[in-house]
Amino acid sequence: MNPMHADHILIVDDDRDICELLGTYLEKNGLRVTKAPTGKHMRAALDNVAVDLIVLDLMLPGEDGLTLCRDLRAGKFKAIPIVMLTARNEEADRILGLEMGADDYLAKPFAARELLARIHAVLRRARMLPPNLRVDEASHLLSFGAWQLDTTGRHLIDASGTLVPLSGAEYRLLRVFLDHPQRVLNRDQLLNLTQGRDAELFERSIDLLVSRLRQRLQDDAREPRYLKTVRSEGYVFCAAVQGKAS
Amino acid sequence: MKAPAQPGPVTKQSWPGSLFVRLLLIFFIGIVTAQAMAYALVMYERTMAGRGLMLENLERDFASSIAILDRVPADERAAWLPLLDRINYHYQLGAGLKGQGPDTALAQRVSAAIADTVGPRHKAAVRAIPGEPDRVQVHLVLGDGAPVTIDLQASSMPVSPWLPALLLLQLALLAICAFFAVRIATEPLQRLAQAADALGPDLKGTALPEDGPTEVARASTAFNAMQKRIAGYIKERTQILAAISHDLQTPITRMRLRTDLMDEGEQRSKLQHDLDEMVLLVREALAYARSLHGTDESPRRMDLDALLDTMRCDYDDAGSPVSVTGQVSRPVMGRPLALRRILGNLTDNALKFGHDVKLTVQVNVQEEIEISVLDRGPGIHESELDAVLQPFYRVENSRNRETGGTGLGLAIAQQLAVSMGARLTLSNRTGGGLCARLVMPAAWAD
Repeated sequence: MNPMHADHILIVDDDRDICELLGTYLEKNGLRVTKAPTGKHMRAALDNVAVDLIVLDLMLPGEDGLTLCRDLRAGKFKAIPIVMLTARNEEADRILGLEMGADDYLAKPFAARELLARIHAVLRRARMLPPNLRVDEASHLLSFGAWQLDTTGRHLIDASGTLVPLSGAEYRLLRVFLDHPQRVLNRDQLLNLTQGRDAELFERSIDLLVSRLRQRLQDDAREPRYLKTVRSEGYVFCAAVQGKAS
Repeated sequence: MKAPAQPGPVTKQSWPGSLFVRLLLIFFIGIVTAQAMAYALVMYERTMAGRGLMLENLERDFASSIAILDRVPADERAAWLPLLDRINYHYQLGAGLKGQGPDTALAQRVSAAIADTVGPRHKAAVRAIPGEPDRVQVHLVLGDGAPVTIDLQASSMPVSPWLPALLLLQLALLAICAFFAVRIATEPLQRLAQAADALGPDLKGTALPEDGPTEVARASTAFNAMQKRIAGYIKERTQILAAISHDLQTPITRMRLRTDLMDEGEQRSKLQHDLDEMVLLVREALAYARSLHGTDESPRRMDLDALLDTMRCDYDDAGSPVSVTGQVSRPVMGRPLALRRILGNLTDNALKFGHDVKLTVQVNVQEEIEISVLDRGPGIHESELDAVLQPFYRVENSRNRETGGTGLGLAIAQQLAVSMGARLTLSNRTGGGLCARLVMPAAWAD
């Protein structure tokens, strides 16, 4: 690949060794890399080079990863996808990372190969669909019809307030639909967008997953209120989606 | 700290185990004995006093009575007899019973008493009646040669009928007082034991009220302080575990990345495999440390059937299918994250060591929700069923390090179960395999 056209990754991590090692690995795999130990260096780097994706460590001296992430989303660099790294394998951090605007999350320690896969998946996703279709990132409740999706707990809440859990694959698929409502998504797109968020292999056919999701949402395939089949094309999420900070 | 303590070995079979019964028994026996002794003493004094009085009167009374009989014509004597009778003795005309020499204490005292008066004049002979220590007969001869017998019965004065009733009433009163006193003494011990039992693995023990009698208040204060210290030590231990695990993550990340830059080869993949094991251990240790604090998740209205179904889907997607049977069909109040973690750990364990993994859910007769994770496999030896719930415990035979795992999965499940007020028990199934059962009170959402 021509280095001039290779994707440019900005790594923000205060651990010099990790920065170096990651940089070397990503460069070996055809990416361009800029390294920044702190938020200040990150801002300087963003002003100087065109960055395609930021790998951001959660634990940083001074401004931490969450603050930086929020700032980036609010500023002129809001379109740059972020992959968040964190040393803590806690549900709360995972959720916070996603909701503060990170596109993906990876817990340390991780395999470099895994990070590379995530970077590619996030870049592919960002390119496949423009970011302006994303619902307000600050909200963690997405409501549609009689349902609400809690993106922190990754579960549904029905009209009576009962929590209805979702399987990992169901959540990812529903999230893709809710992020892109009123848009026909074909099976390839759905497969691509649904993959990559987690390391877990996803081999189920999209059709089976859609029917499982319909069951969970008590949606009738013949008279769908949420998930409509578009013949020979794919599926479309036909209800209106509203973000709501709670 | 642990499950309720087993009752200690009983030294003597006949001695009742409960302190309450023992104290009550001691009090009661003591009171009854003291009461009996007091009664006996009073009765003895009374008898002695009565006897002394009788003997003192005897001397003059005998003399006058015999003098009367002596002077009354022989045919009128029988009519006089009832007039001369006393409570303790009466007069008979005739030789009386034979008896033996004055060898009893009473006989000797009687013979001493009459020695100076009627004795010599009427050839008095004092005779003790064999087999009746309190009975003495004095045989005399009147002036005309007729024999007279004084039959003396040193019986005590009759006891009034209300005395036993009064004694019984007194005894009952004392018994009731003893009961309450013993209860006051043993109740704090019971509370202490309950509080010690309640200080479970989640360390959310309840503080004892520090009031009541001074000794009890002091014991409660000491217990509360000890409870705090234990919690402090455990917390410290947990924090150390968490801190080490947490800090290991950075060096492991570096090592992992270094191996990624190494040339491919056998050593590299082995090193990576070792690192993966370390990562797993670190993560589980962190999760375990967190579970010790209990879950801060608050219960909420949730669909338990959907939770089990999504777990089935997740395992299906991951290529290790499990089956789910049963339904509760009603929304419950529960902690979805903790429940998922518990059931996930149990299911992972079942998949690792067994096959044909089945999850069942049902509401039992006590209105509790029972979720069982069943597998067909080697099971666990009966003696180790409790131990495997301890952190880092590994079963000797089949479930060893070779099969991987950190020895923390079940400990985490157990901690979380305790923190949400549920019980986790393991048992072997008939036909082979393990049954992990989670029982929690059914809190139905309305």
